[in-house]
Amino acid sequence: MNMIFILMLIVLTSICDTTSQMCLKFSINSLKINVDGIKKAFLFVLMLLRIPRVWVGFFFSTLSLFIWLFVLSKADLSFAFSVDSMHYIFIAFASGVILKEKVDLQRWMGTLLIVVGIIIVTLS
Amino acid sequence: MKNKLTLKIIAILISTDFLETFAQFCFKKSVIGESGFQIFNFIDALAFAKIAVTSPFLWVGLLSVLAIFIIWSTVLSKIDLSVAVPVCSFSYILVPLTSVIFFHEKVTPLRWTGITVVLLGVILVTLSSKETQRA
Repeated sequence: MNMIFILMLIVLTSICDTTSQMCLKFSINSLKINVDGIKKAFLFVLMLLRIPRVWVGFFFSTLSLFIWLFVLSKADLSFAFSVDSMHYIFIAFASGVILKEKVDLQRWMGTLLIVVGIIIVTLS
Repeated sequence: MKNKLTLKIIAILISTDFLETFAQFCFKKSVIGESGFQIFNFIDALAFAKIAVTSPFLWVGLLSVLAIFIIWSTVLSKIDLSVAVPVCSFSYILVPLTSVIFFHEKVTPLRWTGITVVLLGVILVTLSSKETQRA
């Protein structure tokens, strides 16, 4: 029972994290700016900070961090890290569906290999 | 213009990984020695916050987070999210490698297998971004 609760919390942090990345990337795409050079990068970030969606992203990112800290205080570190590796799958899925990125078979295979590899590394 | 994943961008992504670790280290350091601190009420929480806020480590950590945000946003303006995030998993390879090289730690064969599988995944994702670029 307790284990299922922790598992659900880890899924929740992954979802929050994915949501925050979606907010940020969606906003960046909407700016359509070519960032070259340090000066342009600062200008670009200032423009980003004026978009409310970016702050929604910050909120989810902070929320994800707090849930994660709570999980780490309860669960085994290697278990938590191996379950958390599924957020790569969430990111790939959401990037394809929401951001309309072309996530082809090769990219999916690569992402799945990374997840499997992380599970092996953290559990060994 | 899109999907151009150059070696430069990969290097930048890896550097944010290190910066991230550094930030975590700073946050941990800012409250270290306070592990026996018990938070029962709001006043305790304020006292705890005061200790953290007066530590220079907290501010260095926050500065790193700001730097990470600037770098990460810039990188995302150039490449797909579904490429940037997997490439960041490179730290799963780098951290064990550095512990072998600098601390002479032993890495089990199973762990080497995992590291190799992660590396293969990163290579596949990187190559997939090159294909889209050509198309």
